[in-house]
Amino acid sequence: MPYFRITLLRSAIGLPAKRTGVLQALGLRKRMATVYHPVTQDVAGQIMKVKELVDVAEVEYPLTRGEMKKMRTPDPGYYVERRAGDVRAEFEGR
Amino acid sequence: MLSRTVRRALQDANLPPTYLLPFRARLSTVGHTIDPEPVPEPLLNSAHISRQTPTRPYTPPVSRQSSTQPAETATQPTAALPAPTSTSPSTPTTPLSDSIKDLLPLLRSQTPHYITAHLHGRPYLLTQGDTLRLPFLMPGVQPGDILRLNRASVVGSRDYTLKAGAPAASVASLPKEELGHADIRAKQSYVDERLFVCRAVVMGVEAEPMRIKEKTKQRQRHVRQVKSKHKFTVLRVQELRVRSLEEVEGLA
Repeated sequence: MPYFRITLLRSAIGLPAKRTGVLQALGLRKRMATVYHPVTQDVAGQIMKVKELVDVAEVEYPLTRGEMKKMRTPDPGYYVERRAGDVRAEFEGR
Repeated sequence: MLSRTVRRALQDANLPPTYLLPFRARLSTVGHTIDPEPVPEPLLNSAHISRQTPTRPYTPPVSRQSSTQPAETATQPTAALPAPTSTSPSTPTTPLSDSIKDLLPLLRSQTPHYITAHLHGRPYLLTQGDTLRLPFLMPGVQPGDILRLNRASVVGSRDYTLKAGAPAASVASLPKEELGHADIRAKQSYVDERLFVCRAVVMGVEAEPMRIKEKTKQRQRHVRQVKSKHKFTVLRVQELRVRSLEEVEGLA
């Protein structure tokens, strides 16, 4: 089932209270927040009400917050090849 | 107004295109749109190289435009590297492209090398023997530990540079769960980690001088002092080398 990936790009500060209510109903509380909703008519209508504020893409699977965090976290770029303690243990055991 | 004059001055200067500038390896990232230039004779005839590629003599590709460019163009296939964990590194298994096979021995023959290693997404330009004070305290390491730096965007020498490919991952190469999410993937791509070896040893921990910041509140005489003293891990680049083709193919 396809999903809408909705990201709030612009804040609703200063806009009519109804827009804020629509964002609350979508679960968008702050800028750059991302939510997933199934592709249905009522969700499409909600998006239409706030279409100037959000970025929408259609995706196959929703991602959890942890998965999204993991995707945007850069690689550590290193790993521990040899620990000093292991070297010492080898030396003393010999 | 000033910027316009500066721009016009730059246009009038009629600078040569970048591929004609000397002493700089011009490198493309994706695809091979421009014909690579022939290899300089001293490098081509060196016994060192012919020892490394005994079965595959280098044949300079047909070049339609003549130029005096000293360096070669190397491309890195844009294959998404699997994310390694801290203990078990990933081993990419994609076959090496022909340009890598041709040009890696040249890069390897010219020492010393430099590397732009990325730690937590931040680039550090390093060569062998460098001491690097990281801007953070690396967790879970002791002095004497040997680290492998396995993410690099650039590996190069004086005349040759191996750059990572463009980060655009094709949709087909993504796992099924990430279909449609390609636009929020990492923007940086890295050089194939089989091609080089970069080892750093943890030298210890360095601390900055104590910083004291005075915090005040309105209508109160009390001044709070906030103290901070950060610690930073110090690394030393112990080894930096480019692997030979036999080594790289032996890994797979």
